Amino acid sequence: MTMRPFDLKNENYPGHREGAGLETDRIPEDAVLKKHGEFISFLKRSKTSVDEKETFRNYLSDLPDEEVIGLYEALRDEKIEWEEGFFYPNIQYLFGTAFEREKDYREQQLWRENSQQQREVTRWYEEAKEKSCVWWIENHIISRHSISSCMSCGACTALCPAAEFYDFSPRMIMTIVQEKDEAEIIELLKSDTIWYCHQCGSCKPKCPRGNSPFGMISSLRQLSQIKGYHVESVRGRQQFAARHLWGGNLWNRACTLYFRNPEPIAHRDFGPRFALYFKHKEEMFRRIGACPDMDGSLSGRKVHPDTLDEVRKLWQAGGVLYLWERIEEAARRQAEELGISLDSYHEKVKSEG
Amino acid sequence: MNVIHHEGRESAWQRYVKDIPDNNYFLTLSCILGTLYPGSEAMVPKLYDLLGLNWGTSTDAQSGWTCCSAIGYHGDIVPIEATLLTIARLWSIAQEAGMDAVTPTCVTSFGAYCECKDLYEHEPGLKKKMDRLLKESCGREFEIPKYLVHTSDVYYRYRNRLRDEFMKFQLVEEKTGRPLRVVDHVGCHYSKLFPEKHAMGGVDYCEVLSGMAKAWGGENVEYPERRHCCGMGFRQCMISPNRGATMASVYKKMKSMAPFQPDLILTNCPGCQVFLDKEQWAIYEMTGEEYFVPVLTYQELAGLLMGWDPYNTAGIQFHTVPVEPLLDKIGIPYDPSKAWVGLDGRPLEAAAEMELVSAGESGNG
Repeated sequence: MTMRPFDLKNENYPGHREGAGLETDRIPEDAVLKKHGEFISFLKRSKTSVDEKETFRNYLSDLPDEEVIGLYEALRDEKIEWEEGFFYPNIQYLFGTAFEREKDYREQQLWRENSQQQREVTRWYEEAKEKSCVWWIENHIISRHSISSCMSCGACTALCPAAEFYDFSPRMIMTIVQEKDEAEIIELLKSDTIWYCHQCGSCKPKCPRGNSPFGMISSLRQLSQIKGYHVESVRGRQQFAARHLWGGNLWNRACTLYFRNPEPIAHRDFGPRFALYFKHKEEMFRRIGACPDMDGSLSGRKVHPDTLDEVRKLWQAGGVLYLWERIEEAARRQAEELGISLDSYHEKVKSEG
Repeated sequence: MNVIHHEGRESAWQRYVKDIPDNNYFLTLSCILGTLYPGSEAMVPKLYDLLGLNWGTSTDAQSGWTCCSAIGYHGDIVPIEATLLTIARLWSIAQEAGMDAVTPTCVTSFGAYCECKDLYEHEPGLKKKMDRLLKESCGREFEIPKYLVHTSDVYYRYRNRLRDEFMKFQLVEEKTGRPLRVVDHVGCHYSKLFPEKHAMGGVDYCEVLSGMAKAWGGENVEYPERRHCCGMGFRQCMISPNRGATMASVYKKMKSMAPFQPDLILTNCPGCQVFLDKEQWAIYEMTGEEYFVPVLTYQELAGLLMGWDPYNTAGIQFHTVPVEPLLDKIGIPYDPSKAWVGLDGRPLEAAAEMELVSAGESGNG
């Protein structure tokens, strides 16, 4: 290793400075769904402390699943006229909240239990969970296509950007995989190591044997989560945050990154110009013709519920809900073992490391 | 001998020249680009129209396009089967629209499309299985598109026509006539995953961006870390405690290119665009080193050279490293008072924050 990653605990890191970020959005005056008025008003004030998230949980715990989902959808689909189209003012208060995470968990459980969708892929993963890691390596589609035979030349590691900054060697991972020692593979799956890969693919074109170390690592990460080994490492258990960040966006907005995600408070390294733009992002988006939480075909658009329903069926058929269930189950179990709430656990995994 | 050698080089180059069809593009958009540089994305339809092309995207709410899910795949929360299905659905919509070339603005999408196509070609029975799952899940049918073309390929395809018919400015310093030095940063998932089949010029001599820079009057910069990844890394950038690796990668590249005094960095990958631009600020804060080299997408560069509005069309105010010094060099006019105004033209409270970025105005860019 010739360099180290930037130390985010460095006192000059912009994230540590008060006032480096700007406040987010204005709260519109509208009120919907009188029955849950107090909750909605709390929702619009929140995204704050874990204690308040507990209040969310307590309120929601008394509501049946259908009412939680119905409340979410009513808020999501409420619209007001703005410019030449409709603006959906409540999405900004829903994304990334404990409410959304709880709704997603319950809704996805219902999908898994009640859906008549194809279970072929899920069944494959369920069976793979019960088999050895060596079996996975020999049978999972991505791992099979990622290795023919590795001669341990190390070309992959020599040019790997992650290997430069972390104690990480794709060559060693390929060696472990090739040796097919079950215990050693399990140890690897429980470690931080596999999670350091950038998934850039720099290794693939330089392998003289046509292997794809980054593909193999991708496959091993899936296996780690299917088996529940990922929570044994700091980097691995971050997947609970990833499942709700990217997964929350996919499930609710059919995108992996939502235009309100990069809040300056969490991205102070993006600088003050970014914070200024973000404060006025709706108007900035409109100036260039994009569609922030509006109907339309360009950036930030509100996805139609029918479109959402269609892709959710594909994700159910493609095994996504099974994988998310595994991640959720492992997180809930570990939170319980640690004696902390799920929301505290969520805060922990996205901030430690 | 020289002739034979030359022919050998020519023939080797032909292996890396991809077919870029000239029309009938189905446009799919990018989660990252749309979030952070929405102007770049909004300019693609404008350019397709300007060139008089037949193109489409699904604006039908009942069958609208969605994200390709590939960030979820590389972020390890989406199994490959789900990504195959999500992309099969997008291809199905493209085929309904009569388009045989799918043009994503996102390099991650492009890489995932290529990976899906590669899997279909090398995994017996996979196409039939996905046909069945797609049909049973949402009643759609799909074929593997004839062409997988990144939107930067389209710009590359039309680079000379854009210059000859539409561009008002060149990548040349107005005062001296010096060609501007352009660093091309090609996204890894454009050039490294399937270099022989899908990257214009392959991995080491990838020409998709350098070809544009050269055609538009610039001079390409060769520097040691030219092909190094930006460090975006999916989970590395999105999970805050991992961001240090992203910054370090950008820092490595900036240090490597700085001695060559680049005038701008040109990108075709949304993730690279974000972090090469934004982390220059964090590097300045943490090390005091002022690089501040403007980072532009090829859509922005083409738009600006055609004289499109820097603020209302290209959206240069979305950048962390100010682009205005580059506009000054080229001689592109702009009204700085229009940078931070609302839809109704009223000025936004910008003064205090703008002082903080004054360092950028005097930077190396």
